[in-house]
Amino acid sequence: MSASLSVEIGSLRLANPILVASGTFGYAREMAGMVDVGRLGGIVPKTITQAPRAGNAPWRTVETTAGLLNSIGLDNDGIDAFIEHHLPYLGQLASPAIVSIAGRTSEEFTQMAARLSQYDEVGAIELNISCPNVSGGVDFGICPETCRDLIASVRAQCTKPLLAKLTPNVARIADVAAAAEEGGADGISAINTLLGMAVDWRRQKPLLGNVMGGLSGPAIKPVALRCVYQIAQRVKIPVIGIGGIGTIDDVMEFLVAGATAVQIGTANFNDPTVSMRLLDQMPAALAELGAASIQEIIGSLQPKSQPAPNVLGSPVA
Amino acid sequence: MNENCNPLHAPYYADHAVQLTVEVVENVQLARDTYRIRFACPSLAASITPGQFVMLRLADMQDPLLGRPLAMYDVYRDADGAAVGIDVVYLVHGKLTSKLARCAPGQRLEVWGPLGNGFPGQQVDHLIMVAGGIGQTPFVALGKEYLGRQAYGDPPRQGASAGKVTMCYGARSAEYLAGVEDFRACGIDVKISTDDGSAGHHGLVTDLLNAALDASTAGVQIACCGPERMMESVATIAAQRNVPCWVSLETPMACGIGICFTCVAKVRQDDGSWDYKRTCVEGPIFAAEKIDWE
Ligand SMILES: Cc1cc2nc3c(=O)[nH]c(=O)nc-3n(C[C@H](O)[C@H](O)[C@H](O)COP(=O)(O)OP(=O)(O)OC[C@H]3O[C@@H](n4cnc5c(N)ncnc54)[C@H](O)[C@@H]3O)c2cc1C
Ligand SMILES: Cc1cc2nc3c(=O)[nH]c(=O)nc-3n(C[C@H](O)[C@H](O)[C@H](O)COP(=O)(O)O)c2cc1C
Repeated sequence: MSASLSVEIGSLRLANPILVASGTFGYAREMAGMVDVGRLGGIVPKTITQAPRAGNAPWRTVETTAGLLNSIGLDNDGIDAFIEHHLPYLGQLASPAIVSIAGRTSEEFTQMAARLSQYDEVGAIELNISCPNVSGGVDFGICPETCRDLIASVRAQCTKPLLAKLTPNVARIADVAAAAEEGGADGISAINTLLGMAVDWRRQKPLLGNVMGGLSGPAIKPVALRCVYQIAQRVKIPVIGIGGIGTIDDVMEFLVAGATAVQIGTANFNDPTVSMRLLDQMPAALAELGAASIQEIIGSLQPKSQPAPNVLGSPVA
Repeated sequence: MNENCNPLHAPYYADHAVQLTVEVVENVQLARDTYRIRFACPSLAASITPGQFVMLRLADMQDPLLGRPLAMYDVYRDADGAAVGIDVVYLVHGKLTSKLARCAPGQRLEVWGPLGNGFPGQQVDHLIMVAGGIGQTPFVALGKEYLGRQAYGDPPRQGASAGKVTMCYGARSAEYLAGVEDFRACGIDVKISTDDGSAGHHGLVTDLLNAALDASTAGVQIACCGPERMMESVATIAAQRNVPCWVSLETPMACGIGICFTCVAKVRQDDGSWDYKRTCVEGPIFAAEKIDWE
């Protein structure tokens, strides 16, 4: 018998831990021809804002070594259009929709979350307090107190499970995670992109239209893994690992390091059917560890044993 | 749910796309820095139509990480005419194409497609295809289809026809001209210009277009692909002469399937304003007057 794959984030039950990350799967309809979207553990559609946003001027992405810089700038049609046009489609899928929102103020976040709480089609809400490409939002993910107050304000008006999506562009991400937990978050999504840039030295110009952008893809996986590990050590609520995940080994590493589930981001771009393959490969990976359920794996990282002494008797460097 | 009710959905999602790991069958040089690569992919080859593209990258490689959009040059077939695979013609440009140029047969590629809208299939008297440099790649298949030499799509698309097909092909110099024999072989009237005068007309491809338009009578349709400035000039000529024109945009893409919002172009809306539209799922082919060139 294969191991149970289901996990819980607050009151939200996911059939499996493979989700897709905001901004990397459109509004799910785009992918319906290539991916059996209903098999996913959950879908996080592209972040929506109160008012429509045209997004940043091109170039919006630049490929870097094993990574991608983006400054899309939250191009979206606003919450009204989302509720009217995208939510009905998401609601008919077998996978829960975890709706990602970004506000400029605490009031905006709270209003949007309260409004979305009224819809059965919304499985949970992810607060994007970590987008590096717009002014506003990201500030809530930097200072622990501001983060806690924001979550508390949203929590008071929101009946859906609440996730806080954190930025790695801080000195101590676990402090921000702990603050989000204190504010009433049901889970932590980590990480959003790392702030970076790319330069054309011949033209002496930045390559991105917005000068700086967020780095994603395989290049950031070690950073994401470290963040997830630090957060999982610190909080009791589930952590959803995000960052450079593209193979079953990546998935298992995040689970072992403490993630309850993962989100696939950039890998959807260069390998559109990756999420289905990971789902297919999951049972064998659990079997390899002899696990009867995924719970046995989550956070199962063992402390590293003392380094073996070398011939001179001092620890190997 | 009736998607036609949703004005936010793009018209050309990757609903018929497949993702495949394929092997290079051959990779031959056609001109300076220009190669034609062939790989087997029967279902994709059967369904793709002229102007559609695939995303392509080297399998099992994280650098370059992303696929690159490349137009279908032609479908290759077995003796019975059944689609076997596709040819792609590429210019060595950056990270992926320089690695691609060194690929030997047997090299594994990751491919997904068919993607995008492709050119419309219409009945016209005279189709004038205007290509700048590597922008020529969609036009062998388009010319063949419009001249009734080959049908594309599954089921094969009907309704595309032209009494005459002219190709105005501009390149930097003679050594960059690729596949001219392929165009001529299917009955396309090829006119050439080069920037340095090393072949054909010494000057711009738009000179060829103007001459072709002067010589042509009613029922012209222009199809254009190339550098943005050149497409803008062609669009301007088409507008001045009141000739319908399709442009195939070459906006860089990161996914090709509508999920990353990289490849946006300013597209005019019915109310006269513009909005950023994803060229991969709204295009890459647009009516020229819809594009805000800036
Ligand atoms: C629908 C479509 C069909 C195409 N068909 C063909 C074809 O048939 N044959 C062919 O040769 N090419 C084709 N192209 C163009 C091709 O996809 C690109 O030239 C591709 O980038 C080449 O990949 P590369 O890795 O070699 O170059 P890259 O390393 O990607 O670099 C290419 C150049 O693009 C610039 N660049 C990189 N990122 C961006 C960005 N975000 N915005 C603007 N510029 C950027 C770089 O500075 C560099 O000069 C097509 C493009 C589209 C959209
Ligand atoms: C093109 C692009 C757009 C993104 N848009 C969003 C977004 O709208 N909201 C959000 O919370 N994260 C967004 N992200 C961040 C991803 O969801 C994810 O956190 C990040 O890319 C790291 O994961 P990855 O390395 O697997 O891509 C975006 C990432 C990319 C590459």
